[in-house]
Amino acid sequence: MDLAEKLKILSAAAKYDVSCSSSGSNRQNIPGGVGNAAYSGICHSWTDDGRCVSLLKILFTNDCCYNCAYCVNRITSDIPRASFTPEEVIELTISFYRRNYIEGLFLSSAIYRSEDYTMEQLLRTVKKLRGEYKFNGYIHLKAIPGADLKLISEAGKYVDRMSVNIELPSDRGLKLLAPRKKKEIILKSMGGITSYIDQYKEERKLFKHAPSFVPAGQSTQLIVGATPDCDLRIIKLSESLYRSFNLKRVYYSAYVPVSDDPKLPSITNPPLVRENRLYQADWLLRFYGFSAGELLSENNPNLDLELDPKASWALRNLHLFPIEINKADYRMLLRVPGIGVKSAKRIAAARRVGSLGYEDLKKIGVVLKRARYFITCRGKYYGETAFRPDFLRQKLLDKVPADSGGEQLTMFT
Amino acid sequence: MRYYIYDGSFQGLLTAIYESYYRSAKPEDILPRHRFTGNLFAQVEEIDTDEIKADKVFQAIKNKISPTALRRVFYAFLSEITGVELLIYRYLQLGWKVGRDIDRHLTDHRVAMIHKISQKVGLEKHRLLGLIRFRKLKGEIYYAPIEPDYNIVSLVAPHFARRLSDQNWVIHDRKRDVAVLYNQKEWVMTVLDPGRDYVLAEEEKYCQQMWKNYFRSASVPGRTNLKLQRQFMPTRYWRYLIEKQ
Repeated sequence: MDLAEKLKILSAAAKYDVSCSSSGSNRQNIPGGVGNAAYSGICHSWTDDGRCVSLLKILFTNDCCYNCAYCVNRITSDIPRASFTPEEVIELTISFYRRNYIEGLFLSSAIYRSEDYTMEQLLRTVKKLRGEYKFNGYIHLKAIPGADLKLISEAGKYVDRMSVNIELPSDRGLKLLAPRKKKEIILKSMGGITSYIDQYKEERKLFKHAPSFVPAGQSTQLIVGATPDCDLRIIKLSESLYRSFNLKRVYYSAYVPVSDDPKLPSITNPPLVRENRLYQADWLLRFYGFSAGELLSENNPNLDLELDPKASWALRNLHLFPIEINKADYRMLLRVPGIGVKSAKRIAAARRVGSLGYEDLKKIGVVLKRARYFITCRGKYYGETAFRPDFLRQKLLDKVPADSGGEQLTMFT
Repeated sequence: MRYYIYDGSFQGLLTAIYESYYRSAKPEDILPRHRFTGNLFAQVEEIDTDEIKADKVFQAIKNKISPTALRRVFYAFLSEITGVELLIYRYLQLGWKVGRDIDRHLTDHRVAMIHKISQKVGLEKHRLLGLIRFRKLKGEIYYAPIEPDYNIVSLVAPHFARRLSDQNWVIHDRKRDVAVLYNQKEWVMTVLDPGRDYVLAEEEKYCQQMWKNYFRSASVPGRTNLKLQRQFMPTRYWRYLIEKQ
């Protein structure tokens, strides 16, 4: 099989992993080497689905001995199989990189033969790429859950980010759809990476030139809509991953039907709106100081598809609003629907040199379409509606695209 | 109307700003020579670019206002928008008054304008760090043509000098006929003839084909969203994108 054919098969098989980030690493180039990492991350292109291409995202092999129901590469799936050699991965990465097509490599793999064997192949590839070929661009490597922690920790020395995919947000889901994946094993691998990251960080405090270990941190992915797990469970899981494992990112992937296994829900379109709401909730956890318990509860276990999670929260907590834009503290500014981190920072900066009126907010680039209902400027309210949850809700409603909403609600009935 | 006419360089503009404080006649507009068409009532003050005067203003912006303000002024200058010189002049007038607090005066028209323009330039610079595509030519030179809205070729050069430090490359702004050349040691700005022919290296077509195939197969079929794609990657940049040809 020629390289072009392999690339076709092994990139098509990797695209369902949604992680795309190339940020968080400061890796420098070395004399005679090629590449460096940009701390902010750089997107190089956008495919027809509107997602960015930052890294060359490929599987090392799609020849899998597992049989996870939701996965295109499961052993019983009738698809062409291919495997790269380390040299082929390196050749592709470097020739794409030199033309500025990509920011680096994202290397994942199906489980070929065994977890350890697969992890050894991945390790060999990244070690060679860094050592022999002096490549210093960004590398995101999948750790194979259940592989020997020694192999995983060795690989971590060469890469910028590592991830272990949890995929299914509950133990029950895993047992049903991915019988060979065990929650304890996945968590053990993730915990292992976290403790290595901490350990190397400590060493770097003491010795300036101590080697780095996964400097851009660890991430994971959850599939949404392949199991009946509610949003509360998913967001709680994410929250605990951020807190206890110090994860940099949790990615959410709307389940795209790839098999007609009776254990899977039959849907025609992936639940994209739900995925989007989960990302919004995730952002609220990481950048806006919210906790999972504020967004969802046992009585209210799913995110509102018609309204973004911050607006839903605000409507449930109207007693806190409206806030005075010239006085509210920064944390409260961040909680106003329609005000993001940038706007909140601008408001905080601008009000130090003069009080802000409604027109001033427009001038400094704050979008007031949603925010106007929750703020006062110099004591005046500009919402032009009764300050009641039902009225405000009508004003805030997003248009929900016709192709998505309904089906998600009825999936499991 | 009193016009200050400068040579179009950043140093020229800084010299003009220097002169505005020492000449009794204050400018009502500052224009690069190629934009000045002249009119009956124009009183023209010719500004001769002077490195020492320019450097004094450069240092003053940096130290008396802030390094950020200096960056914003330079980015705004690179936008080449008609009238940007006067906006810069007025922004700096406020800057001398309020010092490093200037970037808090977001409701002030002078500040808002410079922020808006410099942000646009910064966004395009960042976009092109990703969207520049090198083609390998015969003779081991990597060549990238671009047609950016703003004059950002000098802003992206240091990034590629660090990143692709072991290859010879050229980034060619075909709109302005300027280019950055890098020879594995240092980069220089130069004028480049737009009509020149470029012969691709032998393996280049093969590599481009691989990239096109990859690009196509990386999209998830059930999620097609062309509007979103164009929002991130406006069509005016597609002309030199390998994957969009």
